[in-house]
Amino acid sequence: MNPKLDSAQLGVAVRISRIDWDQMSHDEGRRLREFGLMEGIEVTPLHRGSLFSRDPLALAIGRMQVIIRARQAAMIEVASTAP
Amino acid sequence: MTAAIPAIALVGNPNAGKSSLFNALTGARQKIANYPGVTVERKAGHASFADGRPMSLVDLPGSYSLTPASPDEAVTRDVVLGQQAGERRPDALVVVVDAANLDNHLCFALELIALGLPTVVALNMLDLAERDGLTLDPAILSRELGVPVVPTVAVRKRGLTDLLAAVDGAILSHQTQTTPQSAPPPSDAALHQRARAIARAATLSENPVRRWTQRVDAVLLHPVAGFLILLALMFVMFQGVYAWSEAPIGWIEGGIGALQGAVDAALPDGFLRGLIIEGILGGVGSVVVFLPQILILFLFILLLEATGYMTRAAFLMDGIMAKVGLSGRGFIPLLSSFACAVPGIMATRAIPDAKDRLTTILIAPLMTCSARLPVYTLIIGAFIPNTNVGGSPVGLQGLVLFGLYLSGIVGALVVALVLRRTLAKGTAAGFMMEMPRYQWPRLRDVGIALWQRAWIFLRRAGTIIFVTTIALWLLLSYPKVPTDSRESQVDYSVAGRIASGLEVVVAPIGFNHDIALALIPAMAAREVAVSALATANAIEAGDDEEAMAQSLSERLQGRWSIATALAFLAWFVFAPQCISTIAITRRETNGWKWPLFMVGYLFALAYAAAGITYWTAVAFGLG
Repeated sequence: MNPKLDSAQLGVAVRISRIDWDQMSHDEGRRLREFGLMEGIEVTPLHRGSLFSRDPLALAIGRMQVIIRARQAAMIEVASTAP
Repeated sequence: MTAAIPAIALVGNPNAGKSSLFNALTGARQKIANYPGVTVERKAGHASFADGRPMSLVDLPGSYSLTPASPDEAVTRDVVLGQQAGERRPDALVVVVDAANLDNHLCFALELIALGLPTVVALNMLDLAERDGLTLDPAILSRELGVPVVPTVAVRKRGLTDLLAAVDGAILSHQTQTTPQSAPPPSDAALHQRARAIARAATLSENPVRRWTQRVDAVLLHPVAGFLILLALMFVMFQGVYAWSEAPIGWIEGGIGALQGAVDAALPDGFLRGLIIEGILGGVGSVVVFLPQILILFLFILLLEATGYMTRAAFLMDGIMAKVGLSGRGFIPLLSSFACAVPGIMATRAIPDAKDRLTTILIAPLMTCSARLPVYTLIIGAFIPNTNVGGSPVGLQGLVLFGLYLSGIVGALVVALVLRRTLAKGTAAGFMMEMPRYQWPRLRDVGIALWQRAWIFLRRAGTIIFVTTIALWLLLSYPKVPTDSRESQVDYSVAGRIASGLEVVVAPIGFNHDIALALIPAMAAREVAVSALATANAIEAGDDEEAMAQSLSERLQGRWSIATALAFLAWFVFAPQCISTIAITRRETNGWKWPLFMVGYLFALAYAAAGITYWTAVAFGLG
């Protein structure tokens, strides 16, 4: 099974290989796409949660940073960017 | 056919710097109202072209696309499509994009350009993009998009003249040619691909990372250090709200006292003098004294928002709030509610999930607002000994006050947990947010926003509070007690008789006639309970000089047991005694169902909490 974004290492860029659109609500999926989170895009997980929780997850996409929940990150499969 | 004054709409993504551009174009000449039927703020203003012809400007809520995800975004779509009731379709659009985030912002820009209205793109915050090591070519961008592109730095008022000239030109050229619109809307993925391709074409050189923001985030979003910094900031904020407001509150109280004195001297004793001094100045004044605290709190909140820190605070708090079914987005409204639940409830508009938002509205009144402080201070001062706990430096009075704040917060979390599993049941609230870069706050933008908040607060004090205070004053003053009666004016008045009826209901939780009487006018605002107790006691004391010399807290000590005082404190942790909060809840939830539910559940909790406190205290021999 491919690694998912919710367990990806912080500070290391990964490429989104597949997003399980069927598992998320219509609005959730649309907002993800509006943030530019799509198959083939490179993202870097930056921060994960605080003192009491491993949720949420802050990501860098291009020049933008966005916050999503771990639940959504678990629907995003990623692959290493190494050639 | 064109109207006399062209209407121009500013539209763009959140964080594109739209509001700064709007402020720069219109100055302080702004009008804030609501769109009819929805609780979305409509910000409008005026500006003029270089030759002096006027134009009207409207600042539309930030959106990611024409497919709305919140009521705000729906307004944006409806206005640009000409479907918003009572709003003319704009004659031209100014699409505001963040120069440093073209990949993303061009998606919405492409959607808007495809509408075929005269459009100009404002390539905003070009200075920050350059700081980030990004060099862009507006000419290439303009060629690819097919509309004029004007570089702007809104906060420095750069590019504004060029922008307005381009808008003028776009409207003129639009009148001589028609733009064919037939192509079906492209898919999200296609739109993004096109946006990225255009952004790449217009980018001459770039430095890939935002080092500065990331370095600051390494500290402020650190799982431990970041959380401690957030707590420290909150601590400073609450200290500031109470410490810095003392002097201005004194000035306002002095001013109101002086006015009362002047009216007292100018008018003969009678209905009008009583109405003005006790009803209007006393009643409205008791609310206006909270203006300094509310402004200080708002100043903090606006600064935290303007710098980009608020999103970080939401990030840090999200984990905890998720445990009770809320999201980090709810942190900001709940924080505001410590000053006053009214602006707090208004701030819930930013929460996209309807159930999440409703739950946040319903628990906002449990945050200890500044109106409870006068009540807490009076009762704690009178009944809790001013000693330290054990041998520690922790004062008992302060500890009780802290306990009251904590009870409110814990109560709110428990209520949220229950609501999210019952009435406001739904999937776990989402939390998707863009994290803006850090910026220096612009004094002008903060100043304008602060002034707008102050105005909204004062307008409310001048309407709702004004009317209810007069009504309550009338109820306490009439009918006049006959001179030969042994009863006091308060007991003889309509309000006094209602209090006797209410006393039957609240006697089981340890409340006496004093409290029953204070609770009625305190329906308008909690702090009125204090002045009601003072008035009732003053009238009861009558001509008894010994009684007159006693302070209010001394008189309360003689009349109430400690158990009753503690029950009274517990009551105010929960009781929804604030007309403004109920009114704003009605407005924000579009009906009476939720405000009535809120009032019901909070009174039930207040009754239970006061009862449990009273009987526990009695069992410990404090009755």
